[in-house]
Amino acid sequence: MNFMLPLLQGGAGNLAAYLAAHVLLCLLPAFFIAGAMTALIPKPAITRWLGRKTPRHISYPAAAAAGSLLAVCSCTIVPLFAGIHRKGAGLGPAITFLFFAPAGNVLALAYTGSILGAEFALARLTLCLLFGIGIGLLMAVIFRSDDARHDHETDGMFAAEAEIGTAAVGVLFALLGVLLAGTLQIALLKESVLTLTLPISGAQAWQTQLLQWVPFDAANGEEGVSVQGSILIALLLLLGAVAWKGMENITEGANRWTWVALVLAAATLLFATFSVVPADGRLDVSITGRVLAEGVALAAVVWFARGLAASAWQSWMWESWRFVKQIFPLLLAGVFVVGMARQVIEPVWIESLAGSNDLKGNAIAVLFGVFMYFPTLVEVPVARMFLDLGMHPGPLLAYLMADPELSLQSMVIIAAVIGWRKAMTYVGWVALFSTTAGLLYGGWVDAFRSTM
Amino acid sequence: MKTVKILGSGCANCRKLESVARAAALGAGVQADFIKVTHHNDILAYDIVATPALVIDEKVVCSGRIPTQAEVAQWLGAGA
Repeated sequence: MNFMLPLLQGGAGNLAAYLAAHVLLCLLPAFFIAGAMTALIPKPAITRWLGRKTPRHISYPAAAAAGSLLAVCSCTIVPLFAGIHRKGAGLGPAITFLFFAPAGNVLALAYTGSILGAEFALARLTLCLLFGIGIGLLMAVIFRSDDARHDHETDGMFAAEAEIGTAAVGVLFALLGVLLAGTLQIALLKESVLTLTLPISGAQAWQTQLLQWVPFDAANGEEGVSVQGSILIALLLLLGAVAWKGMENITEGANRWTWVALVLAAATLLFATFSVVPADGRLDVSITGRVLAEGVALAAVVWFARGLAASAWQSWMWESWRFVKQIFPLLLAGVFVVGMARQVIEPVWIESLAGSNDLKGNAIAVLFGVFMYFPTLVEVPVARMFLDLGMHPGPLLAYLMADPELSLQSMVIIAAVIGWRKAMTYVGWVALFSTTAGLLYGGWVDAFRSTM
Repeated sequence: MKTVKILGSGCANCRKLESVARAAALGAGVQADFIKVTHHNDILAYDIVATPALVIDEKVVCSGRIPTQAEVAQWLGAGA
């Protein structure tokens, strides 16, 4: 029991800290964006560029775009991969899609950016894009005879034309604005415009209480829960309960709870952008530039969303809610387990295995990624833990590249679609490219540090 | 008697589609056999890119989205 208590406390503390600080401003808009992309972008608008008669300089970028726009979790990625491959897309673009989708989609990038920093998100995006196209081209060259046999398949599947409506485009951009306004770390957004002092005497005591429940060690990379964070957790729980009533049957039309849930979601987002600091006998609430930016972006979403047809709007809500139901519980469980693991793992182990940017460190990171299967997005808090425990950014990126692409489970499914010979070749290339990506990024970080 | 097939790997959307279709059939008083098609080879035999898809008497009526009960009831009634 004495051994279990700190473990459970570590898990619960990690969970509370994540819910309070990171989840809201990044994940809430990201779920809505992912839902909007799935529901509002007609799939033929992108897949028509994947036909084998399309020139390479169009079909490969289109495959990457399809990966980042159409698919969010492996549940969608692998069936879509199988679909576009069987329907006659070349092996190359199909592989590019398969490689890029788990790392290049909006949920993964937004989450990586908010937890590991914008630099990591950018490196992940760039290297995945380059290597995804690279691996696709390589696979197409290696298996060109097989691929040619595939050629008699119809191209008609990809000829369908589809337009994206202006309201849908507006909604997508406005949502992106919500995401950026909430997460960008620039001075303009952090600056306080107006500070209100509320005479709430219990705030300071509540903060002390929170620190007692969730003790944290900043040096170890841990985070505590603030007064604002505790209110946000309460709002999130409430939102979850209301959304269940309002979103579960959204395809049949909206009910009263749907509106309550949406207003609550917007209010929660807006509240998270205020700066709330408890002091002796009072609570300082500041309106920052972020509050104004977030407010404008949210208003823009509402304005554009009014132009959507009811069916489009409802399927957008349903897809967003489905992503929440599917991904969020796994993420919570993952974050809890990571918090427990952090209490056990000694920084020395990580440092000796992958503390520096060499071939061994990067190879170990890739191997770890292959043999450990984490559900969608959980690789991000895991990576954060490694970073805090002293892993070098190079091997960390190698791990981030390999983990979503190369779990044993996804290998089996991919092999079922394209055969073991091709699947193993793909796995080999991914391992090699991920290791290289880690070495490159690590070298770049080291060079940057030494010039500082 | 109608044959209703639900194409999809068994994710949340396919389960939702199945419950919508069953409710629609019940509401419209249409006798129907429900078959879930989950293997991707069988799914790809139909001319669709995205799941979930609904097939009524071997005709694809909708794919890549979840229809409303009213729509499904209409499709079920159309071929009667």
